[in-house]
Amino acid sequence: MNDGISLIELILNASPAVQIVMLILFFLSIASWVIIVQRWLVLSSARKGVFSFEQRFWSGMDLSQLYKEGSQMQQDNMQIVGMENIFRAGFKEFMRLRQQGAVDGEAIMEGAQRAMRVAYSREEEKLEKHLAFLATVGSVSPYVGLFGTVIGIMNSFLGLATQAQATLQVVAPGIAEALFATGMGLFAAIPAVVAFNRYSALLDMVTSSYITFSDEFSSILHRQVHST
Amino acid sequence: MNTAFNNLVIYNGYPLSVVVAVAFHSFILAFLIWVQSSSNIDSLELVQPTIIKALFIDENPQVRNERILERQRLERVEQQRIAREEEQQRQQEEADRQAALERQQAEAEAERERQALLEREELERQRQLELERRLEREQRELEEQRQRDLAEAERRRQIEEAERQRQQAAAEAAAAEAARTEFELVQSATAIIQMAVQQVWNRPPSARNGMRVILQIRMLPTGELLDARITESSGDPAFDRSAENAAYSAAPFTELQSLPINVFNANFRTLSLIFQPEDLLN
Repeated sequence: MNDGISLIELILNASPAVQIVMLILFFLSIASWVIIVQRWLVLSSARKGVFSFEQRFWSGMDLSQLYKEGSQMQQDNMQIVGMENIFRAGFKEFMRLRQQGAVDGEAIMEGAQRAMRVAYSREEEKLEKHLAFLATVGSVSPYVGLFGTVIGIMNSFLGLATQAQATLQVVAPGIAEALFATGMGLFAAIPAVVAFNRYSALLDMVTSSYITFSDEFSSILHRQVHST
Repeated sequence: MNTAFNNLVIYNGYPLSVVVAVAFHSFILAFLIWVQSSSNIDSLELVQPTIIKALFIDENPQVRNERILERQRLERVEQQRIAREEEQQRQQEEADRQAALERQQAEAEAERERQALLEREELERQRQLELERRLEREQRELEEQRQRDLAEAERRRQIEEAERQRQQAAAEAAAAEAARTEFELVQSATAIIQMAVQQVWNRPPSARNGMRVILQIRMLPTGELLDARITESSGDPAFDRSAENAAYSAAPFTELQSLPINVFNANFRTLSLIFQPEDLLN
């Protein structure tokens, strides 16, 4: 490209259909990057939260003390995320059932476990929100780009049909603009696919640690129920 | 974490994400445009060679000799003038000396004598003046004459040059025209001969594709055939003979009579005909 057509000219002179495809791909790319950054913030903070809460939980602190600290944080307008939510839901239910004077230990355990399951599924839902969007962008935007390419090449060959003399100069700009659409599609798709795979692995790790924690916690509660 | 970053991270970090994504895309766009524009810099530049027009000016030897003679003549005139002036000066001195002598001899006559002397002097001066004026005029005339001669010579030379060029162009045009018409004439006459020979050519049964006979025929300006000679045989005597017979029976070529004689001499005195049975099946 040492003469004439610059990138801007290429985009501005493209046919309307290809321009629409390029616009769609550009916004898809921006949206996918928004999701990538936001998910990264959420998932990395969740992972950090798992480590810090596990440290606090296994430090031998009294469980009711831990619960009170959490309530204090809630009053200070700080968000409570991840594992602590599961702990709080289970512990709250456990304490409430005990105060109501439920004698059946199994019933108390069941109630606590159910509350933890609910909290767990809420947390999981929070974590995997919008990840599906990344997957969609990753798989669809190459096709969208390809669609633009097909339309662009079709247009340039239709233009060629009306020419008496078929020269490379007639088709070259059209093919260049068409290929640019494919390039944009790939540009949007590659980061989205990479991020989706990375975040799926991270999500698996975090949720499995949640499940492990809730099992461990329910075993502790179980001990408490049956020791009394 | 400072407060600005905190503000970006609240609401699940969406504001920060939007800022980062838009910045990333604008950075990539700017980079692409920068790469494009920097690669556009080295464009070809055509350097036009400077053309120097060379002119050859030849000097006419005759004009040069005239000029030299003129200069010599002028020098001679100048020398004569100087000599005359010296003579006059000498005479005047003589007169002065005589006047002084007379003044010494006769003081009484001095007044009358002085008057006469004055008159003589006046006359002398006028004469001298006239002489000078005449000389000057002569010189001017000479100069004018020289200029006129030069201009005349130059003008003649230009006219001759233009005439010569015009004649040359005309001659070239005529030659081109003649060559073209001659070429056309030769073409048409050759075609006529070929057709005439072809019509009367009876190929023997032994003729095969790829056989070739070259027949050299000599003709007279009337179109009559002088003789025909085989210069390249096909190897088949019957085929050779048939070509020869065809040439003899097609003669005379009366169309050649209408050709200008110089065209005929140049092209048709001897003519080579090639016989080749191309249309046979085997």
